[in-house]
Amino acid sequence: MQALSPFKLLSRFGAAFMEVALDVGGMAVLLYKVIRCFFPPKLDGMETWRNLYKVGVKSAPIVVVTALLTGAIMVIQSGALVAQFDAFGLLGWGAGFATLREVGPIMIGLMFSGRVGANNTAELGTMKVTDQIDALRALAIDPITYLLVPRFIAIVLMMFLLTIVGDLTALVGGAYTGQVLLGVSPSLFASSVIEYIKLEDLFNGLFKAFTFGVAIAVVSSHYGMTTSGGAVGVGRSVNNSVVASAVLIFVLDYFITSILH
Amino acid sequence: MTKHTQAYVAALSPTQRRIAQLGVIFVPIVTQVTEILRVGSLAFYYAFKKPIRWREVVQQSFFIGNRSLAFVMIVLGFLGMILIFQSGFQAKRIVGDLQGMGALYLQLLFREFAPTVTALMLATRVGTGIAAEIGSMVVTEQVDALRMNNAEPIQYLVVPRLLASIVMTFVLSCVALCVAFGTGMFVANTVFEVNVATFYNTSLLEWGDLIIFSLKALAYGITIPIIASQAGLSAFGGSEGVGTATTMAVVNASLAVTILDFVLSGVGYIFFFS
Amino acid sequence: MIRISEVYKYRGHECVINGVNLVIPQGTQVGLIGPGGAGKSLLMKICAGLVRPDSGSVLIDGTEVVGIGDVEMTSVRSKIGMLFQNYALFDFMTVEENIGFPLRQLGGRTEEEIRDEVNRLLLAVDLPNTQKLFPNELSGGMKKRVTFARAVIANPPILFYDDPTAGLDPVTSGKIFALLEERRERGGTTSIVVSHDILGMRDICDSFVLMDHGRIVFSGTREEIEASTRPFVGQFWRGEADD
Repeated sequence: MQALSPFKLLSRFGAAFMEVALDVGGMAVLLYKVIRCFFPPKLDGMETWRNLYKVGVKSAPIVVVTALLTGAIMVIQSGALVAQFDAFGLLGWGAGFATLREVGPIMIGLMFSGRVGANNTAELGTMKVTDQIDALRALAIDPITYLLVPRFIAIVLMMFLLTIVGDLTALVGGAYTGQVLLGVSPSLFASSVIEYIKLEDLFNGLFKAFTFGVAIAVVSSHYGMTTSGGAVGVGRSVNNSVVASAVLIFVLDYFITSILH
Repeated sequence: MTKHTQAYVAALSPTQRRIAQLGVIFVPIVTQVTEILRVGSLAFYYAFKKPIRWREVVQQSFFIGNRSLAFVMIVLGFLGMILIFQSGFQAKRIVGDLQGMGALYLQLLFREFAPTVTALMLATRVGTGIAAEIGSMVVTEQVDALRMNNAEPIQYLVVPRLLASIVMTFVLSCVALCVAFGTGMFVANTVFEVNVATFYNTSLLEWGDLIIFSLKALAYGITIPIIASQAGLSAFGGSEGVGTATTMAVVNASLAVTILDFVLSGVGYIFFFS
Repeated sequence: MIRISEVYKYRGHECVINGVNLVIPQGTQVGLIGPGGAGKSLLMKICAGLVRPDSGSVLIDGTEVVGIGDVEMTSVRSKIGMLFQNYALFDFMTVEENIGFPLRQLGGRTEEEIRDEVNRLLLAVDLPNTQKLFPNELSGGMKKRVTFARAVIANPPILFYDDPTAGLDPVTSGKIFALLEERRERGGTTSIVVSHDILGMRDICDSFVLMDHGRIVFSGTREEIEASTRPFVGQFWRGEADD
């Protein structure tokens, strides 16, 4: 490898920057186009229904499993501390707070991005490289209203609903682990949750889930629609899509956390 | 379902049919797990057999590191700030004292967040990368061409990625730990006015934390490339097949990381921390 | 010699190879023709040990290839050269590395000898000065010629060509068939050519096997096929549509 001159290094940075800017701009335009379709609502009812079913059913099992394990891990990690201070009454609070506000939405978001986001990119990307999107345009069907809006609705709504399910399962998993590992009875765990955790904590987490849902929908659709280059291109798009989703989840989480305090 | 199976299912009683339907859920899971174990055991068999393509191992390590360093640093940097934000406000409300925060945070980073979140990120970045690469090679018959030339695909493709991933997952977890601790310290200092020297407190660290950290990094480093390679090798069809394989890789790898995290955290708690 | 007997392969409940029996004598070139989805490529992959049939046996020079592991396959595979339908060029290797790969895997040659052999073959397939290029920088016809070079570099006694002219224009197809013909004239190689391109195949094969729906419908020399009174055989050979 030859040494890079400062100029070359700078131009490489510039190229990378332009690439990111292009993607961000593309996503913003996509989001705008999708939102515009809601005023007045223009969408394909059947396609939306089909997507809701597909997204929900496909990701429900994995969300439940992840949430159960997440709740359990949170209890294990706070276990040593709780045992040290003999503060068994705080276990429900510690695990519950962490799960509802942070770890729940993040873990469910990451899983959802892997399951649904990656699948969305792969599907749209395949349609793109096999010219199906152009075929739709040739039939005077707008790909945005026909393909993207239903997926957008399905992803955002299901992410929101599944986070509610996930939060509940995580608490169950936490309570069970608390009983097995630390001998904290589920009723003590529950009362600790009820006493210390405010509704606001739940809503905070659900708001995060909503924004993560929007991020996953926009990112995965954008990378799907800009795929080129056959089978290799589809793989590359899926890779970019899940990576961008993960970064966005953490960045959005930080800003929401710091602004809402 | 084929016609044959349909006729068979129609002849069952309602209870039997319900039991039979369980197969629809479990059969794919069991076949996939056995397939992953098969690829894994073959990879280990060849990892201890000559020749190993060391140049390829180095190149793959470079790819993994180069592709995911910035990604892991950004994510863990933000995670560090988030964690300190949340715990700082809670600690202030309930305990009222923030002096011990740094020590606890460092312990939690070692035991949980640094290795696990890094692994989740590698599952998305490296996992999809490996699955897409091997998957495209399968659908364009390159894997068949390897076999025709007596180059066993698992030895030729999977082993270098496995060895590279074991090393790089550990290295990246260490980087992640430093970054997350650094950004956490920054927030603690600027928002909660905790002194840097107070925050940097290693008094709670034990050997157990280090062992759990290394065990987790090792386990994740082994699991991610094997699961991703299996997903790639099972690709069929054209671009659609590659898409399915990459999706399968992220989901399976992230799920495996979560399950391993649960098991290893439990083991750590029972052996070291209770 | 390749002896295929009673080979069956199912996909789900559909029979994709339905009881195929075929003997390919030493030193002959057989054209495997038939409509799309007839199972031609699949049968070839079964012979190469890449796909395992559900039942039946395939003997290559007296060695059974069905059901043996990849390790035992080693000695059989070093006798076989294969040209793949989708090129199957390693996209992380240069043209030179791709063509030299079989020799490097066989071992026993110095890098210098391998390079000389690769250069000689590149001239033979009319691709001089492409050594350092990567496959994605080549056109379809060039890629096919590189794949051909890789298949034949180790001078294997058995050659499998899976649709060597798929997706090529007639002129380039002609060049590829000329390469195949040149190989055949040297003698000594047993080979199977899968193709739809009957016009190009007519003159370069010793005999033909016509497949449809996983079965062998007809087999014989060019003269025998042309003399056949069966409507399907005649129609396919002359490229006429069903009515």
